[in-house]
Amino acid sequence: MLITILYGILRLALWLLLAPLLPGIVNKVKAWVAGRRGPPVLQLYYDLARLWRKGVVLSTLASPGFLAGPAVGWVAIVGAALLLPLGPAGSVLGFRGDVLLLIYLLALARFCTVWAALETGSAFEGMGSVREVSYAVLTEAAILAAVLSLCVHNRGLALAEILAPSAGAGATLLAAGLFTVLLAENCRVPFDDPNTHLELTMIHEAMILDHSGPPLAAILHGASVKLLLFSVLLVQAVLPIGAFAPLAGIGVLVGGVLVTTVGVGLVESLLARFAFKQVPFLLTLAFLLCLFALLVAWKGGAA
Amino acid sequence: MIVGPLLSVAALGLLAGMVLGPRRPRFWLGATLVATTASLAAALTILLGFEPTWEWSGAFRLGGELPHLRLDAISALFLALLSVVGGAGAAYSRDYWSDHHYPKSSGRGRLWWSGLVLMMGLVLLEANGLHFLIAWELFTLCGYMLITLENRGRKVRAAGWLYLAASHAGTLCLFAFFSLLASRTGSWELGPQLRECAMLTPLFWLALAGFGVKAGVFPLHVWLPSAHANAPSHVSAILSGVAIKMGVYGIVRFSGWLPPPVQAGWVVIALGAVGALFGIAFAFAQNDLKRLLAYCSVENVGVILIGLGAALLGAAHGDAVWGRLALVGALLHVWNHGLFKALLFFGAGSVLHATGTRDMSRLGGLWTKMPWTASLFALGALAVSGLPPLNGFVSEWLIYLGLFDAGIAHSPAAWAAMPVAIVLGMAGALALASFAKAGALTFCGAPRTKRVAHAHEGGAWMIGPMLVLGAACVAIGLAPALLWPVVGRVAGAWNPAWAAADAAPVQLATLGGVHVVLALLVLAAVLFLLRRSLANGLRRGLTWDCGYAAPTGRMQYTAGSFSGIAAGWFFWLFRTENTAQRPHGPLPAGARRVERVPETVLEKLIGPVGAGVLRLSTAVRRLQHGRLQSYILYLVAGLAALSALVLTGGAR
Amino acid sequence: MNGTLNLLIGLTMGLNLMALGSSRIPSLIRAMSVQGVVLGVMPLLIEHLFGWEAMLRHWPVLLVAVATITVKGIVIPRLLNRAMRAANIDRDMEPLIGYVPSILLGAGGTIAAMALARSLPLLPEHAGSLLVPGALASVLTGFVLLIGRTKAISQVCGYLILENGIYLFGLLLIHATPLLVEAGILLDLTVGVFVIGIIVDHIQRAFDSLDTRKLTVLRE
Repeated sequence: MLITILYGILRLALWLLLAPLLPGIVNKVKAWVAGRRGPPVLQLYYDLARLWRKGVVLSTLASPGFLAGPAVGWVAIVGAALLLPLGPAGSVLGFRGDVLLLIYLLALARFCTVWAALETGSAFEGMGSVREVSYAVLTEAAILAAVLSLCVHNRGLALAEILAPSAGAGATLLAAGLFTVLLAENCRVPFDDPNTHLELTMIHEAMILDHSGPPLAAILHGASVKLLLFSVLLVQAVLPIGAFAPLAGIGVLVGGVLVTTVGVGLVESLLARFAFKQVPFLLTLAFLLCLFALLVAWKGGAA
Repeated sequence: MIVGPLLSVAALGLLAGMVLGPRRPRFWLGATLVATTASLAAALTILLGFEPTWEWSGAFRLGGELPHLRLDAISALFLALLSVVGGAGAAYSRDYWSDHHYPKSSGRGRLWWSGLVLMMGLVLLEANGLHFLIAWELFTLCGYMLITLENRGRKVRAAGWLYLAASHAGTLCLFAFFSLLASRTGSWELGPQLRECAMLTPLFWLALAGFGVKAGVFPLHVWLPSAHANAPSHVSAILSGVAIKMGVYGIVRFSGWLPPPVQAGWVVIALGAVGALFGIAFAFAQNDLKRLLAYCSVENVGVILIGLGAALLGAAHGDAVWGRLALVGALLHVWNHGLFKALLFFGAGSVLHATGTRDMSRLGGLWTKMPWTASLFALGALAVSGLPPLNGFVSEWLIYLGLFDAGIAHSPAAWAAMPVAIVLGMAGALALASFAKAGALTFCGAPRTKRVAHAHEGGAWMIGPMLVLGAACVAIGLAPALLWPVVGRVAGAWNPAWAAADAAPVQLATLGGVHVVLALLVLAAVLFLLRRSLANGLRRGLTWDCGYAAPTGRMQYTAGSFSGIAAGWFFWLFRTENTAQRPHGPLPAGARRVERVPETVLEKLIGPVGAGVLRLSTAVRRLQHGRLQSYILYLVAGLAALSALVLTGGAR
Repeated sequence: MNGTLNLLIGLTMGLNLMALGSSRIPSLIRAMSVQGVVLGVMPLLIEHLFGWEAMLRHWPVLLVAVATITVKGIVIPRLLNRAMRAANIDRDMEPLIGYVPSILLGAGGTIAAMALARSLPLLPEHAGSLLVPGALASVLTGFVLLIGRTKAISQVCGYLILENGIYLFGLLLIHATPLLVEAGILLDLTVGVFVIGIIVDHIQRAFDSLDTRKLTVLRE
């Protein structure tokens, strides 16, 4: 029991410490493609430390929910990350149906972010919230189709069963679909531009305009954990990590996450943000890719 | 041995409340609370397995039939919900619909409230078809009386009429259902013995239609939004939390008792999926807080039907275990929806009480004036969106498990289960959107009108029932494993093949543990972040708004714009109506733009068909004009037609 | 070889969806031409022709493959591209069925085709193959394009994709029927496209537009 708890805390520390590395890598890739030197890879760590020491400016309209929202959202995202198995290391606490808990924990985080955004009564934050909750309808469908395909292919309902053992025949479809979902859920280009300063065109950034100090640090850190979470999920869903020896499996996992991150950076450098009208189209495509992966898994299981 | 006396106490308490309640509010409240506590105790006795099914038969005849009451696990599940919401609503109405505010109708309100609870209880207990119908009819009438309590408004009367008309369309099906049942079995007795009679299979469709109207199954839900929106809020709470569950009860009951047709599972799960997705889509598009809640009930009935449909499919495919999972989820969702929907309607009632409007585009910033209502409404919003660690997630999780397992088992039913699982996920995301909208636009931000700025919190009697319901939501979320044997017993009563209740095959205890840890971590994180922020220094300032210096409440995002994107996806269903008055000239006097999502099914489907029928009837009426000569002509024509029929041998 | 064949047919289905989802006519034409090349490779796979010797022995199959790739993959797309440039349009701006609905229709049709193919009485050697669902899905995609698009060029593409579906059906019978059938279809098609090309040109000259909705006046 004690060992499990200690192990869990160790895993937690790993997640919390490594996550802010990913946005740094993405930014480095972008800078490299553009021929600039770019900010240091550890920039987000400096930012978080700075924000954590700063004071808070609170809107006169905001209720305590404005501060509670980021806290709950952060806990939800980190909890979801802890549920995820890490290659050969397996999950800390695996049980049948934990994959649905993961999806709904992310939904809880979304609810809290949106609620906190609407606390300020600003129209910009309203805009961001609307986009967030509306597009989530389509990503939710895509994620569920992807998870169903994994469940049907691996005949299991626990994350450890459906992720580690083997990749399905529809892995390519799944990879494309889940990568698109990753971009949308983490508000990256082409769905959203994390670097933009034009409030009218943002999703995630528009929702957190009024946050400052430690709550903003929680939000930024939570976002980086979410990016890591989705990369780990994608890599394990697509690559047959279970087929490697334990150490090699860890290596493949880390390598896969790095490749995914670099991929995000490349997409961000080479693609422009899409018009909002095209977002549903792209998300529908992601859904269809996952749906066909499900179909492939179903046919593979029937044979 | 204790169930009978408890139920008698409950009946006596409610009857006394009906007789003496109109004059004596305090006595009425006491009697109702005692009665509902007693019936809750009776239901729990059965549900916890302390006593087997309770039966009682009278020695006298009532309408030519011997009275026969039965309380088994399925009835007890619904009776427990009825007791909780009935008691909480009675307490809530003490301040909400008091003699002081509504001197004319408060007495009637108490009378019909007791009547409604009594009649719903009777419907749940009846084991005789004839008496079931009578109780059903009386329950409908009590509901009508409560909806039209404040009957001066035209909208309220129209809503009442619509409710009455739709309910009777449903009752018509039920009349046909019960009389055919009686004629095919030779008695009005209801019970598990019906399952043996294969002749009864097609009657399932009649029951589905009749009970479906009451339950608000999607295309039959037309009465529901306006009735729930226009009724007093404590009435909306019991209508939405319990009364529509009577329809669900009927469907659950008779899908268990009748030998269901082969297609039953497919049809029920499809109805559920359609209801869940379209119900919540309509909810998201509403600007009226209570109408949004009403449409959300359509969604939740859809979710329950998804679980029930999966259970029927599972039962049809060799009593598969996944069917049982889905059924347990559906049954648990009956409770959960009753609890959080009553909580939300009470919250909406407090808002209405304090501000006099239900239009979300006129509300906003209420949390400063009504902190209790705001936090409890937020809790209810989290629960209804199916988010962990609250109760809504537990039941949806079980339904998901059932659907996923059907896919994993490669059962033919997976062709229904897998798409429906995806639809359920989309409905969940839309529910989240709807309740982020409902909660945050009402309680957060700046007040949008002056009236809202002078709102006030309701009294302890209004907050107390909400606290009780909120606590129940949290409790079910944190300790779901305790409920497994209870609901498992109900599932066993529904399908005896599933009666051998094993220890929870799903790891509900693990989920509960995770929920507890999550709740504790959330509390810790909130406190920690709050302390850190305070320690760093906390300064209040205007909302930044990208540098705009003088924001007003009117500049916030409105309810209509909030659902703009998603409403665009459903334009083919909504048929949104726009009326715009554009600004003209160099100094425009005024401009307005109104966007309304109509009751599409009612206005575009049932309305035109009804008008057509009316035109046809008017045309036929011309035959009846009072001229004797023509009547004789009809006679002759009729005779000639008959003789022609005989001559051609068509009447053989 | 069933695995590779199924992969190619899966690719064909993906190209169908790409055609349905592309708003620009050049990408529609590109999807169609890639599909033509993929289809052209299939007879070789089915007949297990992997060496020069085998190919020469079954020279009619080789001929069909080469002809298909040339005509469907190169000639027709070129013609269409030229027509497009001549007509000076590159977008189907206002489709009757929007892009998201049509792609959803296509996907739903593909799944339905899979389910339907399972219930068809097929030869055992075709049971595991995706030929029939792929054919049905392509035919359906063609119909959606023909119904949902307004520009004549997109409709021609729809017609060609529909024909690709029929070609896939034809592959089922590759052992049984002489390859003349396929050759006939190809010829038929080439003539058809020429005719359509001429018609497009004439429509463009007469009406200054390629919008087929404007042709309703000619219904007499």
